Amino acid sequence: MLEHMLPLPLLQFQSFLTWDSLKMNMDMEVSTSFHDFLYRMRHPASLDLVRSIKSFIVSFSFHQPKPENDGKRVQDFFVSMEAAIRDHSLWTTASEEDIDCAMQGLEKYIMTKLFSRTFSASAEDAKIDNEISSKICLLQTFLKPEHLDIPPILQNEALWLLAEKELLKINAFKAPHEKLLSIMNCCRIINNLLLNAAMSEYVPAGADGFLPVLIYVTIKANPPKLHSNLKFIKLYTRQAKLISEAEYYFTNLVSAKTFIVDLNAKSLSMDEIKYKESMQAAKLTNKVTSELSSACQMSQQEKDDSSCSKKMHNKLDDTGVLQHGSNYPYMEAKSKELTVGDVDMLLSDYKDLVAKYTILCKAIGCLSTAEREPLLRHLEMQGPETLLNFTAPSDHHRHK
Amino acid sequence: MARPGNKIIQAKLVLLGDMGTGKTSIALRFVKGHFFPNQEPTIGAAFFTQILSLSEATVKFDIWDTAGQERYHSLAPMYYRGAAAAIVVYDISSVDTFVRAKKWVQELQTHGNQKSVMALVANKSDLEPKREVEAEVGEQFAQENGMFYMETSAKTAENINELFYEIAKRLARALPPKPTGMNLNSDIQDRGRNYFCCSA
Repeated sequence: MLEHMLPLPLLQFQSFLTWDSLKMNMDMEVSTSFHDFLYRMRHPASLDLVRSIKSFIVSFSFHQPKPENDGKRVQDFFVSMEAAIRDHSLWTTASEEDIDCAMQGLEKYIMTKLFSRTFSASAEDAKIDNEISSKICLLQTFLKPEHLDIPPILQNEALWLLAEKELLKINAFKAPHEKLLSIMNCCRIINNLLLNAAMSEYVPAGADGFLPVLIYVTIKANPPKLHSNLKFIKLYTRQAKLISEAEYYFTNLVSAKTFIVDLNAKSLSMDEIKYKESMQAAKLTNKVTSELSSACQMSQQEKDDSSCSKKMHNKLDDTGVLQHGSNYPYMEAKSKELTVGDVDMLLSDYKDLVAKYTILCKAIGCLSTAEREPLLRHLEMQGPETLLNFTAPSDHHRHK
Repeated sequence: MARPGNKIIQAKLVLLGDMGTGKTSIALRFVKGHFFPNQEPTIGAAFFTQILSLSEATVKFDIWDTAGQERYHSLAPMYYRGAAAAIVVYDISSVDTFVRAKKWVQELQTHGNQKSVMALVANKSDLEPKREVEAEVGEQFAQENGMFYMETSAKTAENINELFYEIAKRLARALPPKPTGMNLNSDIQDRGRNYFCCSA
């Protein structure tokens, strides 16, 4: 992995190690508590608990989904179940930690069962998620740490990358506490970065440094469904767990999200005209990408995955893909004619296209706005076929 | 160090103030200055915990630092929501930071928790020769807004402990004792709510 090869100063490396082992412990705790929970639920004595859990989940389908009500119902159920577990014969000798583990397992079980109903359930949520994600896509093309006045000592690409990776996990989990954990892990990395910087510069760290770095990391990561994930955590994490340090970090991410949503030229240390130009240029680049994708009937989802969520510079390394197939035999194909045997070919063509679009976008990004706009307008007028011809055989942009 | 029979107060304290006024340094002075056996303080970059024991109560502080840059000003309500105490900090050697502090105080008055304990802190009292804001001015403003005033120096530690003791005392006074017969082990559940929240 990249971060292992980078020559980190000893101090940072040490704290990175302790952080990593800490995280491993936490990951293990999460899984053991869940397995322990399932194990105990199989015990004949816990039949009454299993019944209440099942009837609660079934009762959910009787009502229309409504986030606030659903949140309250789930929280109330957690409270009543905690009381039931404390009184239960299986937990008579249990410590506070054991109870907590059981509750954690219960939370994971319930929320996994109710996930499709409770997560990003409304069209409104999906819309906000898309808006945030698109805006971040635009910002990614030009935003620099200097625009948020992040001092050089806090500009540590390796640790930022690590923090981004943790934050991206937010969408990989279903249990609220696991989603929260990925925020905590991301914030702890930034926390360590700040503490190390404070030690070497003899200045205190603090929120003045923390929040800008978190905002920048969030923009670089562009975590999928950010709004929905935050809302889900807020509504469905057991209230006793969203407190103190966890609540502080959670609030910081909510505040980073709000900052990004409201972000305009005045929010940044950047010339207002330059900001507008950069946003305009980013929109044009994205438009070309989306026209190209619609030309090849790529779904919106695929487009997002290829051009936004993943890092462009990572994709650029895949120039090898370009060596294969510069013609597209499936352009005229009908879906009925396709067989399973075509999947490999289609997949490799798809990868090939994605690599080309990425390079094209990058190449366009290198042009100044004045050069770019007439070119793009010209290409748009020629239609999608021309765009394909433009990118496919030419080596021009690869050498740029 | 909770004394038996003593009430325990969980208090969220938020630090507000312009960049460079020494918010974080004040918190660090306080957090690092006391060590109790079995009660490790949390010393993060922007979040801290510390415990103060008074004769009447034990106060567990959760200290929330906030970003002081103007561009993050509109985000502040997310941080001071539900806070039991707020410290608004300015630098005596910069009148601009005092202007900013006044803005925060006014904002807290209108949007903050009405019952919260508020302190106006004039930091960097070690920079007396460069003073731009007279003590009387700060003190008067604090009085007019129902908050207490203190001059501190995070650098020399002057008045830092006094500041937090005063806040703890006021918190203990403001809070009625908890119902008797409470299970002390239910601490975890208690912490779930910001303590002014009526749902607790």
